[in-house]
Amino acid sequence: MDRSENVDVHTKSWSLQPESEYRFELDPGTSLAIKLVSGHAEIFGAELAEGKTYLFGQECKAAVYTWQGCKIEQYVTGHPSVEYVSDETPMAPYANVHIALEQMRVRALAAATGSPLPPGEDNGGSSDAPRVLVLGPENSGKTSVCKILTNYAVRAGQEWAPMLVNVDPSEGAWAAPGAISAASISAPIQTATPASPLGSVATTAPNHVASNALLPLSYWYGHAEMRRNPLLMDRLIRNLGENIRDRWENDTAGRSSGLIVDTPSAFGASSGAGNDHRLMLIKSCVDAFNINVILVVGHEKLNVEMQRTYGNRMAVVKIPKSGGVVELDQSYRERVHKYQLHNYFYGCLIEAPPGLSTKAFVQAGEQTPELTMHLSPASMTVNFGDITIYRIGEETMAPTSALPIGATRAVSEMQPLLVDPAMPGSGLYNAVLAILAPPNPDESERYDEEVLDLPAVGYVVITALDMPNRRMTVLSPTQASLVGKTAIVGSFEWSE
Amino acid sequence: MKLPAFYLLDAISKNVYDPYARHFAPIVANLFIETYEAVDPTTRSKMEEMLLTWRTGAPNGRELFGVVPQLAIEQHIWGSGATQTAVRSPPKRLKGRPDRRRKQMGSRASSSSSSISQAQVLSELEFVLGQKERQLHSNPYDKGTQHHVTVLQQLRALVQVGVSQEELRQILTQLRSLSASAPPAPAPSVPVPAPSSYAAAPTFAPPPPVPPVSAPPQPSRPQQPSYPVLSEQPKAEPIDFSRFLSAQQASAPSTSAAPPVSDITNLFNALVKAGVVPSSGTPSGTPKGAGASSQPEERPQQAADARDAARDYRKLILSRKVQLASADIIRQRPPVVDLLYNNLPTQCKQCGIRFPSTSNGKKQFEDHLDMHFRQNRKASQAVGRGHSRSWFISLEDWIHGDAVDMKGKGRADGRTLSSKAAAAEDAAKREAELRAMHVVVPPGDEAKPISCPICKEHLKSEFLEDEEEWVWRNAIKKDDRIYHATCHAEAAASKSSLAVRLRNETSSRSRSRTPERLTPPKMLAQADTRMSESPSPSKLAGMKRKAEDEASQPAKSEPDAPQVKRQAT
Repeated sequence: MDRSENVDVHTKSWSLQPESEYRFELDPGTSLAIKLVSGHAEIFGAELAEGKTYLFGQECKAAVYTWQGCKIEQYVTGHPSVEYVSDETPMAPYANVHIALEQMRVRALAAATGSPLPPGEDNGGSSDAPRVLVLGPENSGKTSVCKILTNYAVRAGQEWAPMLVNVDPSEGAWAAPGAISAASISAPIQTATPASPLGSVATTAPNHVASNALLPLSYWYGHAEMRRNPLLMDRLIRNLGENIRDRWENDTAGRSSGLIVDTPSAFGASSGAGNDHRLMLIKSCVDAFNINVILVVGHEKLNVEMQRTYGNRMAVVKIPKSGGVVELDQSYRERVHKYQLHNYFYGCLIEAPPGLSTKAFVQAGEQTPELTMHLSPASMTVNFGDITIYRIGEETMAPTSALPIGATRAVSEMQPLLVDPAMPGSGLYNAVLAILAPPNPDESERYDEEVLDLPAVGYVVITALDMPNRRMTVLSPTQASLVGKTAIVGSFEWSE
Repeated sequence: MKLPAFYLLDAISKNVYDPYARHFAPIVANLFIETYEAVDPTTRSKMEEMLLTWRTGAPNGRELFGVVPQLAIEQHIWGSGATQTAVRSPPKRLKGRPDRRRKQMGSRASSSSSSISQAQVLSELEFVLGQKERQLHSNPYDKGTQHHVTVLQQLRALVQVGVSQEELRQILTQLRSLSASAPPAPAPSVPVPAPSSYAAAPTFAPPPPVPPVSAPPQPSRPQQPSYPVLSEQPKAEPIDFSRFLSAQQASAPSTSAAPPVSDITNLFNALVKAGVVPSSGTPSGTPKGAGASSQPEERPQQAADARDAARDYRKLILSRKVQLASADIIRQRPPVVDLLYNNLPTQCKQCGIRFPSTSNGKKQFEDHLDMHFRQNRKASQAVGRGHSRSWFISLEDWIHGDAVDMKGKGRADGRTLSSKAAAAEDAAKREAELRAMHVVVPPGDEAKPISCPICKEHLKSEFLEDEEEWVWRNAIKKDDRIYHATCHAEAAASKSSLAVRLRNETSSRSRSRTPERLTPPKMLAQADTRMSESPSPSKLAGMKRKAEDEASQPAKSEPDAPQVKRQAT
């Protein structure tokens, strides 16, 4: 018992009754290690391996749920944050939703492969794969619902690979905040930090968990708020949907697995300004992804609204919201954005609570995080002429309604404006740039607004501008060259 | 401040080895000891770690600076008693043949060691545990080994909490008998990797059986250890583990009820009975065990099994009457425990993913374990190289990407390959095959330095586990001279057509760029067809095919970034 040197380490054991969960909320700078001692437990649907020590950090707020009861042990650095056990969880309804979605999946697969359904079952419904839109107000646990449903699907042992789509630019999901993206998930998504809520994108490191090496298709919206440029958002959502459809043409298993769309909370805010935008964007999601199930998380009014609009075409289901959701303030979200960008470039290595008796931690499912979770970005100098930077629409845009009657905009929301780094006040210093895929090599196929339809291949940050020499220094995730030579700047900034 | 200098010395000696290690050897012992005395505890532990790697740091897997300095340092640091035992417990990733042999030696000599440190026991535990886990990798259904692993893990937890000196010693003796009695692990189902350029690269391959006959002569070794015959039966020690477990884990349910057993196998049984060790190998209640008992035989059989399993699942799922309606989902009791846990009895102990007990599920599980094995190996090989975030794949690759994956077995990897990278992949494969070629070292020539006439670099000899022979890797014999296979191919190609030459240039360039990429089966098939038209078939004749050589996989993009500079974090 040699813990004397680590006075501020707190070790506790918790015995969880069946269908209860242990919830924790970490403060900045603290980390938590949890070990499953016996029984079965899962975090947002991803099962924990017995005897492994899992690390959490960067203000992670999560819950260890058990269907059958379990015993866990935990260590915390600093002062223990919020932690408690609750036996009131909405997991049973979520599991029912999962089973209903599984029914749709097996039907879809049976129809796709032409194999017969069990007798007496073949008249039970359509053979459409589930394409789920998850809506809800702020802090209702939409992302957690998406994660649980996705994880349950990939855990079913049927080799499902559902498409997880994130259209919440403030969440950023797999890469940088400001992006909307889609990725096919084939292994349970792990939880370790709020900066990568849906798993993380591929690195050159050998990862143990496929959800840490995702290959997303990502478009750069560039702003945290949906209302900043709804038209652009609409266009990007439609691009995403179109490409998912293309991909599914040759991929029966993926098509049968369906998709799950996580949405920004602005979609669920049924009051105030921007209401028409909200409905327009929900509609574009429904159209783009060919949604056939809408899940409304704990919001009666929104549920009724959706029932009225879409109830005749698809299933609109209200699901309860978990009591464990945490009210998140703006500063927390900004900190998460910072973590996210930092992790994108440098990776994320959570420091284990001192005094931990083992050195074998698992962080986000990685057995050897110290070897694979630590990334080295490259700093490179780029001539102004080597890269073309656009800003979509004006930097500050008055709403259309504020313009004089009859006046039209000099610059439309969708117009790509060239940004000259040599101009003072270009706003490029510390700005996050999305590097776009190379444009169509065939000149005749090009069009004015092509940059709007190019997916992002990665993100860089401008760390220095050298005006006299017309050069800038960018922090790039990899040493490889800047692929497309075209970039879009949004409203995100980051500095170390 | 002193540590970096030592790391430099370490790096030079390990990577370049030849002239430098010899020059360092006379001074290294004093230097190390003096520094060790002068630094703080954390640096000391770093130095100890480094010292452990020196045991097998030389390209031939021997002591980096020879036995004498190594022993001198170790004796000084750990005391004479500890040296012998400590020799037996190198860090986990450095296990190779020599260790195993030395370990045997140590186990005989160390019973007299006066005081045993907790760390020492722990590292031994880790070692045996690692051994067992690898065994488990190659044979995941070996229940005995599974139990061994579980008990060892519990023991480790115990020791970490702290036990008395006497108990430590008992654990140590027991461990020794266990590790000595470990039956040689069968060859793993994944092909043994073609080791990367220098032999000191750590490998996770299981320690091979030690056949005394084919053991290579080791002239420079002062004391030739004799090979103790491995006893298949564990020595019955008077002490048993269950006493510790019961003594230390009083809270653990009913361990104390375990009857005293003298044999480790009995102990496991007792623990299972007592419920301490879950009998994880035995599935509990599988409604769809249709294919459970059938062994994987042929592909059609497996496909049929997969289809049956899918049908069973469909039936099971559709038998639930759940409507997607707000009221319905709240009322129902979901059978989700069966679906997500009980019906999937096989669980990966590393990441918790479960697989069905059907033959198809077993296949998936094996693939999954292979994936872990590969990734672990890569992670350990890539130490110090540094990783970075990749660019996202192109739209075209994204749309067509995983379609390849779904058909192939690469599911667990979740990685795909761009069509552009296919050509580079092809070249890399060719190079991997060249590198996998080897020439058996004539007996007695192991120590003789031989260099390639083309590039003038030394050929490194190493022990090939499959063949039980010492070989020169990446070597080809032509007209009684030994060439690097890659150099020779390049030289030969430069005489032949331009097309071949171009391909070779790609392959030689790819050597310097080495990110990790898995090879989807589709691409390999393409590569194979192109292989058939590459240089001269005679060269390929004596070639050993190795599955992959990650160290030489090509980069997707070329290193033309302007003024790139690594940033330290």
